[in-house]
Amino acid sequence: MKLIGLTILAIFILAGCSKSVEPDSSIVKIIDRCDSGDINIIDIKGLKKADGFMKAQVIGESSSGSYQVLEYRVVWLDKDGFKIESILSKWNVIPAYANQPFHINAISPSTTAKTFRLYIKRDKEVICDKQYSGQ
Amino acid sequence: MRQTIQWTIILGITGFLLGGCATKTTNIDMNNDRGEAVMGLDYRDFQGAAQDMIESLISSGAVSKKDGGRYVLAVSRVVNDTMQHIDTGQLVKKIRVGLLRSGKVVVTTAVGANGAEDKMAMKTRKELRGNEEFDQKTVAGKGRMIAPDLSLSGKILQRNIRVDNSTQRVEYYFQMSLTDIKTGLAFWEDERVIGKRGSNKSVAW
Repeated sequence: MKLIGLTILAIFILAGCSKSVEPDSSIVKIIDRCDSGDINIIDIKGLKKADGFMKAQVIGESSSGSYQVLEYRVVWLDKDGFKIESILSKWNVIPAYANQPFHINAISPSTTAKTFRLYIKRDKEVICDKQYSGQ
Repeated sequence: MRQTIQWTIILGITGFLLGGCATKTTNIDMNNDRGEAVMGLDYRDFQGAAQDMIESLISSGAVSKKDGGRYVLAVSRVVNDTMQHIDTGQLVKKIRVGLLRSGKVVVTTAVGANGAEDKMAMKTRKELRGNEEFDQKTVAGKGRMIAPDLSLSGKILQRNIRVDNSTQRVEYYFQMSLTDIKTGLAFWEDERVIGKRGSNKSVAW
């Protein structure tokens, strides 16, 4: 009886030892607008340069009273709406200072880019998902 | 006897349970690795540096030919001036792939800082030329190779700074240059700094 009790106790204690290195799920929620509480996108624009590359500029604003680190990625799409695979579409870090605007600048990986889609993430949650309409 | 059995069971269960404490092996999500940073350089640092360099190169217009054609790029030396054993080709390869995909640059493997990168291609040309066993129409003739217009070179530097008795800071500098071979002028240069702070016990090499 004593032995069983000891065993159960050991299981409870040692259960806390298990260390998981599972990566956090990257995206748990996607919303279809660029407006999530204290982070707002106030301007999004794209421009086709003379050399064929497209540049993007996004202006956001943090209405939070504290500094926060956001992540963003820009996915580039060709004229048919297909994603252009590129290292330039990886997640990047962007600082958002308290009650300050922030700027995101990006350049297309190739001249075939016609439009882009922007994602902004805080912790594990995508808080902004907006596609440049080309207008 | 009974006590021996009891101890055997206890030790067996303890060993079995402690086995669960070992770190499990899992695949990393390379697109969104939330794993802890390390004092040395890891793939995330190379990826970030390469991404910044490609963006900077494309934005600068240095790889956009006025007539719309493609530049031929030769990869020069990227010096590893860190305390780590780094294959600088890891960084260069990412930049090369990015530039190639941009449609503005073609990389030559026939010219490099240490001779031809693809030695077999060069050897084959020489060995097959005049060899009766091969249809000479299919063998690359003389004067067919294209000389490079641009050369990409760089350096990775490391600085270790002691913050206090228990903390150190390590700074890594990725520096790259794009030189116009005809004129010897650097058309583009950029630098990316990665800083890490951690325990003095961590070894950054």
